[in-house]
Amino acid sequence: MKRVALCVAILTMAATGAAQQVVRVAAAADLQPVLPTIAAGYEHATGVHVVASYASSSTLATQILNGAPMDLFLSADFGFAQKVIDGGRAEDAAPVKYATGRLVLWARKDSPVLGGRALTLEILNSPALHRLAIANAEHAPYGRAAMASLTTMHLTDAVKAKLVVAENIAQAAQFADSGNADAALISLTLASSDQLRKDGSFVAMPEGSYPAIVQGAVVIRGAESAKSARVFLNYLLSPAVQRELQVMGLGRP
Amino acid sequence: MDTQAILLTLRLATVTTLALMVIAIPLAGWLAFSASRMKPVVAAIAALPLVLPPTVLGYYLLVALGPTTLFGRGLAEMLGHPLAFSFEGLVVGSVLYSLPFAVQPMVAGFRNINPALLETAQLLGAKPSTIFRDIVLPLSRASLLTSALLSFTHTVGEFGVVLMLGGNIPGVTRTLSIALYDQTQDFNYAAANRTALLLVGISLATLMALYTLWFGSLNKNTSRAGSKLQRGGVRG
Repeated sequence: MKRVALCVAILTMAATGAAQQVVRVAAAADLQPVLPTIAAGYEHATGVHVVASYASSSTLATQILNGAPMDLFLSADFGFAQKVIDGGRAEDAAPVKYATGRLVLWARKDSPVLGGRALTLEILNSPALHRLAIANAEHAPYGRAAMASLTTMHLTDAVKAKLVVAENIAQAAQFADSGNADAALISLTLASSDQLRKDGSFVAMPEGSYPAIVQGAVVIRGAESAKSARVFLNYLLSPAVQRELQVMGLGRP
Repeated sequence: MDTQAILLTLRLATVTTLALMVIAIPLAGWLAFSASRMKPVVAAIAALPLVLPPTVLGYYLLVALGPTTLFGRGLAEMLGHPLAFSFEGLVVGSVLYSLPFAVQPMVAGFRNINPALLETAQLLGAKPSTIFRDIVLPLSRASLLTSALLSFTHTVGEFGVVLMLGGNIPGVTRTLSIALYDQTQDFNYAAANRTALLLVGISLATLMALYTLWFGSLNKNTSRAGSKLQRGGVRG
């Protein structure tokens, strides 16, 4: 009898939970330090709850194409957003630009590669660099940018044997922040987070050494809250929120 | 086909299995025969990887044994590199991850030996280490083989620890399960299919070997059950 009562209670909770307005966002890992703040502001203003799932853009695209219950896809590039469109899962005919990303080199203050000096791009050539973490160039737009940047700077041969490949940009940051890698090529958004600001420092990779990271969004076709997703996307594009995004490391779309 | 990933996976599973046999035999012997009150505690700790998510192991290996801790620094000094992103790191992770799969069949096997045999040997003056080596181990061959096969196949199937600790380095930490993950991410379903099929094949072959062995020894036990020697009866 007790068990039945418990089941009823859980079902009731689940039912009332579903009644609350929710936008489910599949967000690229570079948004992990950004979206919670934006979502909190949005929730405060509208009462709509934003539930974000973070992974590499490719992981998210694969999940959405295989029917993941998402309302909005915030990719870290255009290509994976386009994949979702090509797979017939998007409302939009083209990805909506919502930001541009910046690539930075990050290292802990006590990283052995620094030897007590300030961080510069020189460390990429240093024999003291043993492990450089990057995101997977195949699945993560920032990983692709990292490889492109290293190629432009003629550093591919120097660092090839030193690369450790993380599933997404957040894991690459984690590899370096835990001290297991000497440095990492990550997004400016992650480098601007409180934790990484406290633990280390960063220098921007030269602009033009990698193709611009134009981040695209699509509203998922047939999603439960597609309308709310569109409203949230427009909120992201509003000037006030765009200014907030810039403080947190994203450029204008 | 990713030959490098196949060879790496088989090498990791083999090294892990060998290491586990060395570690698990004394541990299982102690768990089977000791009268210590600490036994439930040790047994519980040894069984933890069965129920914990692999991410817990991955987390501790990456952070607690990383270069930001004293112990991690000592370890890195000894190895010449941090534990993470290395084959050694994966072996340590796999040994912990597959420990219960090695220990539990051994404990069951050791406890299944007719106690009369062990008492007789003791009365005849054999040392505990001699009894263990000359009676317990030979009579537990089937259990030891079960342990080895389970450890091997469980390590082949490892994913979470490798994903957290590996760094996806071809030939060093890019195992078959990681390769499959990458192929799925890359929308390369043809390659993913091949890798998945290969993993199913390896696992099925190992498990079939295991069950052939298991049903074989079960039949033997049943036919022996009536003999006078088997006074302890058939357990398990």
